[in-house]
Amino acid sequence: MSEENWIEVGSTDSIEEEDLIRFDHQDKTFCVYKLTDGFYATDGICTHEAVHLEDGLVMDDEIECPMHQGIFNIKSGEALSPPACEDLKTYPVKVDNDKIFIKID
Amino acid sequence: MKNKIIILGGGQAGIYAAREIRQNDPKSNIKILGEENLLPYERPPLSKDFLLDKKKAEDLYFHSSDVLKNENIEFENISINKVDFENKKLFAKNDNVYSYDSLLISTGSENKKLTLDNNLKNDIYYLRNLEEAKKIKEIVSSKNKITIIGGGFIGLEIASSLSQLQKKVTVIEIGNQLMGRIIPKQIADLVQNTHIEHGNEIILNKQIEKITKKNDDYEILLNDNSFIETDFIIAGIGSTPTVKLFENTNLKLDNGIVTNEFCETSIKDVYAAGDVSNFYHPFYERNMRLESYQHAQNHGICAGKNIAGVKTEYTSIPWMWSDQFNLNLQLTGICDEYDEIIERGNDINNGVIYFFLKNNKIRGACGVGIIGKVGRDIRITSKLTEKDTIVDKQILSDQNLKLNKLIQK
Ligand SMILES: Cc1cc2nc3c(=O)[nH]c(=O)nc-3n(C[C@H](O)[C@H](O)[C@H](O)COP(=O)(O)OP(=O)(O)OC[C@H]3O[C@@H](n4cnc5c(N)ncnc54)[C@H](O)[C@@H]3O)c2cc1C
Ligand code: FES
Repeated sequence: MSEENWIEVGSTDSIEEEDLIRFDHQDKTFCVYKLTDGFYATDGICTHEAVHLEDGLVMDDEIECPMHQGIFNIKSGEALSPPACEDLKTYPVKVDNDKIFIKID
Repeated sequence: MKNKIIILGGGQAGIYAAREIRQNDPKSNIKILGEENLLPYERPPLSKDFLLDKKKAEDLYFHSSDVLKNENIEFENISINKVDFENKKLFAKNDNVYSYDSLLISTGSENKKLTLDNNLKNDIYYLRNLEEAKKIKEIVSSKNKITIIGGGFIGLEIASSLSQLQKKVTVIEIGNQLMGRIIPKQIADLVQNTHIEHGNEIILNKQIEKITKKNDDYEILLNDNSFIETDFIIAGIGSTPTVKLFENTNLKLDNGIVTNEFCETSIKDVYAAGDVSNFYHPFYERNMRLESYQHAQNHGICAGKNIAGVKTEYTSIPWMWSDQFNLNLQLTGICDEYDEIIERGNDINNGVIYFFLKNNKIRGACGVGIIGKVGRDIRITSKLTEKDTIVDKQILSDQNLKLNKLIQK
């Protein structure tokens, strides 16, 4: 794994539990989540229409799109409820010295 | 002998029911009879992304034919024109006869048609299905001045799409606000402003007296004696449940097919779901008929469970959305039974929501905002409604306080 692809997102206390923050890097948008068992990251835009998931609702391991209630599993990216049917891309996350990093390929 | 299950109407409720039956019952014969020569597809994009060319016809199908084949669900393109509930048979125009053990009716709803005294029937367009959407899209490309009769959700969505295609759009609405009385006037006004800002003309409180054809154009006379010149007319004046087929049978009808909380109709082994059903909602303790995506899906699933013998009450809190320009409007619960209204936010950029409360509990809410701004709060509202939570009105009315604080875990 090349080290340079790990991008710093922010400090671990910048996200409340069962919540998310939006993270923009170059021309892409990501969502970084704090769940009960750790941090996760997905693409920041719904696969149904171009809507930012940052305004969505995080419940357990799921993110629900604010536009049409499409639901994705945050850990696997799997589309769980229509109208979303295409999976959401997920990214590896690591925590180092209270800082969150995501690996963008 | 295998159980024979027929689903009459191959739309959203029908396909979700079929797949749910299969999940619970690997053996039965499941057959969907649909008069559109298309596998079940999503209708919401018809007035939005399909007109805007952001979605193609093939993007609209719920499932591919492979999914149906794998689950052994048959789809037959046929229009049924007679039913015999006593002998459990359906008849098609071509003399085909279909017998069933259990029947789900999911025939949806159809557009109300304008009653005009002159012969312009084929000149007025309506939007319900893909074929009509294709026709509108094709013809509108060579038209400029479009008139939409009816300021309901579908009419306004078409107005938004055609305006984005650089058309000059006029909407004529008979009522004193857009989207009928279920939407708070303040929210209707915010949506109206957005249409006007984008160049659409909105005419309220006016009725059509007469439409006259002049060469390829039309002249619309309104009841205040004013005229509108237009070259294309679309009407979206509401819809009625598709129940003509059952009018002379003993199936109980009242604004749709009357069903109980288990999707059962007045006739044994006959179920109904989706737009066509006027169902009993145990939480609201009354009957209602809904025309929404979420309802068609969940009601279809619930009917599927009950048909497969898994007795399940339908308790879903209603929810629907409408997308117009850069706005997303959402409605949850019911907004006509309340003793108090609470407003959250007043700027469309951050979202504006009206909550309808009865005895300090939310019964419904309606919100609108720039895309993405009301969805989370409306979703939380549905949960608070469902849990019958007594809510802290301070939190509801203050946009700086997060609503998820109100959910009791
Ligand atoms: C243009 C448009 C935009 C919409 N936008 C939204 C939106 O933004 N948000 C939202 O929440 N909801 C929206 N809706 C509503 C939503 O699409 C419907 O509520 C939903 O499709 C209802 O599903 P259904 O299965 O009950 O009926 P339908 O999907 O209408 O399916 C019924 C099917 O039965 C067939 N049928 C009827 N009679 C017979 C017969 N005798 N024999 C054989 N077949 C028959 C019909 O041809 C049709 O294919 C929209 C609807 C339309 C038309
Ligand atoms: S945009 Fe996310 S579900 Fe439609």
